[in-house]
Amino acid sequence: MLTYLSRHLQVIFSTLGAMQRTPMASINTVLIIGIALLLPVCLYVTIKSGQALSDNWQGRPQISIFLRADTSASEAALIFNEIRLHPSVQLAELVTPQQALAEFRALSGLDYELKFLDDNPLPHSIVVMPDAGHARSEHLLELQAQLSKIEGIETIRLDLEWTDRFNAILKAAAKLSLVLSALLAVALILIIGNTIKLLIFNRRHEIEITKLVGGTDSFVRRPFLYYGCFYGILGALVSLLLLSGTAHLLQQPMAELAALYQRSQLLYRLGIEEIAIIVLSGAFIGWSAARWSVARHLRQIQPR
Amino acid sequence: MIKLSQVSKQYPNGHLALNKVSFDIPSGEMAFVLGHSGAGKSTLFKLITRMEKPTAGQIIVHDQNLSRMRSSKVPYLRREIGVIFQDHKLLLDRTVFDNVALPLIVIGMPNDEIRKRVRAALGKVGLSGYEKNLPLTLSGGEQQRVGIARAVINRPSILLADEPTGNLDDELSDEIIDIFADFNQVGVTVLIATHDLRQVNRLGSRTIRLEKGEIVQTEATE
Repeated sequence: MLTYLSRHLQVIFSTLGAMQRTPMASINTVLIIGIALLLPVCLYVTIKSGQALSDNWQGRPQISIFLRADTSASEAALIFNEIRLHPSVQLAELVTPQQALAEFRALSGLDYELKFLDDNPLPHSIVVMPDAGHARSEHLLELQAQLSKIEGIETIRLDLEWTDRFNAILKAAAKLSLVLSALLAVALILIIGNTIKLLIFNRRHEIEITKLVGGTDSFVRRPFLYYGCFYGILGALVSLLLLSGTAHLLQQPMAELAALYQRSQLLYRLGIEEIAIIVLSGAFIGWSAARWSVARHLRQIQPR
Repeated sequence: MIKLSQVSKQYPNGHLALNKVSFDIPSGEMAFVLGHSGAGKSTLFKLITRMEKPTAGQIIVHDQNLSRMRSSKVPYLRREIGVIFQDHKLLLDRTVFDNVALPLIVIGMPNDEIRKRVRAALGKVGLSGYEKNLPLTLSGGEQQRVGIARAVINRPSILLADEPTGNLDDELSDEIIDIFADFNQVGVTVLIATHDLRQVNRLGSRTIRLEKGEIVQTEATE
């Protein structure tokens, strides 16, 4: 067992040494892997940032409640009180028909025409902002159902379009990033596989002699699998470096944007588990690529 | 130990390298394969180490039928056979030590055991102290002896040598062949391909003479 481990360590060190001896080829491969991995990682961060934004949509979605036209001011005040005390309502505002008309007049500019109206046709209305924890559309629908039971309400209008659209975009982006990641993984396997193929043919002589003195396929294969693994890990680290560089470049504009949304931070930060997953995926992709390449090319090399 | 019955080898290009060759070399024997270049000597060795498969006939090495051997078993066959090549087949970017140690590294032997064995093997071929040299800093005869040390390091039961004295002068040739004779003395089956009749006469071993892929004469001297 100890010998087995020390053999593996030996292969690991000799592989690292060989990579160091051909720095340009290694750097090129690692950079390509890093850049290719950066794309899905960037998309992931963007989606995560967007989700955080959407989850904490600070009272943006509004619920507009229109009372029946014949509701008196005192009745309206009662209903308003009931709604205001609902546990998931953060803010509620009562708009009287007079206020509504004034607002309409100001917005529409139909000042003159409105003078011909005998009485105010607008009903009482209440504008509700749910608290941050109940800002998702499913919560809003639930709230709508609860409020609609209150006597005297004519209609309830949810202002869901914006959040719905935003969440739909996020969902599409998540799908897109999944497809993109899969395609890039295939591309990476091709790239790494090709690099490994070159390595195999460069070491043809050594492979022939190793097979000649009784080296098994798995012995001959081992260093190339490590090569693939290391390329993948280094590539993943490069992509993380590139990501933090990109985040640094975006810091200024993102800070301005964050200020607009009263948020301290907009950009999602990768956790340690996510970083580990990225590095492990790199290692796995590299290993698979090497495995594939070795399966295709090592058999061709036999002692002559 | 090495038994061929009616073995033929025809290459895809139509060249018939061996034609119905049969012989049996018992364990512990030393024999020479004689013949001009192109007579089929190298093909014979490639068949015995299963670098090639015969087109007809049976080869039994170490009680194993090579025609029926699965390719996953081939490495284990090769560990039983030490092969010495005319062109040495050394790894030129590795030290003498690493070259000789290779057959032990592939079987996963512990490092200190490898060091002991390499030192002993290099001592036996007269190359003590050359561990750290690169093969190209050595003379042809010395490189040949590195190849021998590598072939015997794993204590194989069979030694195959293809023109081991090809480019060497008489004195060096004698030294090399004597090394093989020493291994034969301790029970190793030795098969040497050569066109150096001087060595055959000197040792008086059995000879197998090949001409255009056919055995024209086998004789057991003594």
